[in-house]
Amino acid sequence: MSSAKRVKLDVPEQEEQPFIPILANELLEDTPLTKVFVGKIQDSKSISEVIKSLNLLLPIPSLAHLKRINKQEVLLVSTSDLAKDKIYEYLETNGFNINLLYTDFREVEVAKIAPKTRLQYEKVQKLWPCNFHPDKYLEKLVTNTLFNSLEINVHKTYMSMAILVATEAKKLHITEYDSGVVVVDPKVNSVVALGYSESHHNPCKHPSMVAIDNVAKTQSGGAWKSYEPIPDSSNLNLNGCHPKLFKILLKKFPHINFGASKFQIDHEQKEPSDPYLCTGYYIYLTREPCIMCAMALIHSRVKRVFYGKSSDNGGLGTLYKIHVIKDLNHHYEVFRTLCENKCELVNEL
Amino acid sequence: MSNDANSDISAVITLADHEQYFMEKAFFYARQALDKQEVPVGCIFVYENNILAVGRNEVNKTKNATRHAEMICIDEILKHCKENDLDFKKMISFVDVYVTVEPCIMCAAALFNLNIRSITFGCRNDRFGGSTVYDVSKVIKPTTVVKGGYRACEAMELLKDFYKGQNPNAPLPKVRIKKS
Repeated sequence: MSSAKRVKLDVPEQEEQPFIPILANELLEDTPLTKVFVGKIQDSKSISEVIKSLNLLLPIPSLAHLKRINKQEVLLVSTSDLAKDKIYEYLETNGFNINLLYTDFREVEVAKIAPKTRLQYEKVQKLWPCNFHPDKYLEKLVTNTLFNSLEINVHKTYMSMAILVATEAKKLHITEYDSGVVVVDPKVNSVVALGYSESHHNPCKHPSMVAIDNVAKTQSGGAWKSYEPIPDSSNLNLNGCHPKLFKILLKKFPHINFGASKFQIDHEQKEPSDPYLCTGYYIYLTREPCIMCAMALIHSRVKRVFYGKSSDNGGLGTLYKIHVIKDLNHHYEVFRTLCENKCELVNEL
Repeated sequence: MSNDANSDISAVITLADHEQYFMEKAFFYARQALDKQEVPVGCIFVYENNILAVGRNEVNKTKNATRHAEMICIDEILKHCKENDLDFKKMISFVDVYVTVEPCIMCAAALFNLNIRSITFGCRNDRFGGSTVYDVSKVIKPTTVVKGGYRACEAMELLKDFYKGQNPNAPLPKVRIKKS
């Protein structure tokens, strides 16, 4: 496929992409390289014999992502396993017919591991042919083409709501800081809970921590009682929203749903689709959460995090990327809101 | 793995008598958590050799995954300070934490940010540990001294007992119904 054609397919139209995915470094950096010795086949007619024989007698499991042959050259052995002057002996003692190759071996750089993205693949492919199985979803993330304009508008709306939470919570003296959080259940497209800093009361009550506890309140839980919840009026539960803020948001966002899906207290009747912690929820924050909050969101099994401004103590891009630690049992996606003029939203933060 | 001068979490450690007493208390609350079908982690906060706060995991009770034993103790100390008109920030920096399991990344960050004086724990936390899984001290330069490895096997056994049983709050696994 020509590269011009591919670009057309991947980017349907030039859309504004105000949300930048925060990805693991291994997806952004070049594929690590390693050095191997290669030999040249004397007669092109014996190519298939050489490959067959090498794969049988001298397989290289750690470099299985590489093709064994490049034009008339074959991959023999990693330079870390063998000195150049020992290659001949190595091939011969392992039963390989040495007469099929020229005896001057060459050192080349190749991909040490399989490339994960197309961009990485295109770079290492130039060094030595390589297998690559593109992950469609991942490609959309790395090229930042995951959201269509409709989805972008939805995310922008919730982000502007988080900004409103920040300003209104301060006006109402609920918080002393400029930070707001909106937790959304994308399955029912509804605002489940709100958050803001209460660290003037408790140094651990950062916006995410308050939001997480407010979500718990929609599931007959919660540890911090800070407001009298609104009594249930519909089939959705409004316990996660501070009543005073809810009133204001309802006026400013008349087309947005509020409330969490009803939660069964009786474990016997519990359906698999019942809310469990923040499973499946999206969280919109005006500021990047700190390390503590980033991990709290992992524990809470959030699905996606959108944040506005980066924080000096941020755990999702600034100090570290907590969400890409492989050993953790849960991972969420993170998007930073573009801080350039392209997105007027963030200027309000 | 952290090998900072003020942190030692890899060794099996022996504790002074008064520290052993505090750890025994922490184990008491860990076992209590297990009885309540919570992840069995127990924690106590000590100030000038007095126990000021005790905590055990309350995640399932509160439906809040951040209600770890350490976070509950922090809230208790805060309450104590408010009730007695004490300076929380100052007081907490003289607190020694005894906890049966290495604090997770979240709790380690919270405790480091509060300048807790020391943390003594039982077993390592291979799932979430704030040193073992990701070394929080690399980015939040703490003044806190961390040591671990006291009665580690016992602390780990408690966790294993819990994970053998089913977490009552976890959603039921989706069962695929075969079409007949």
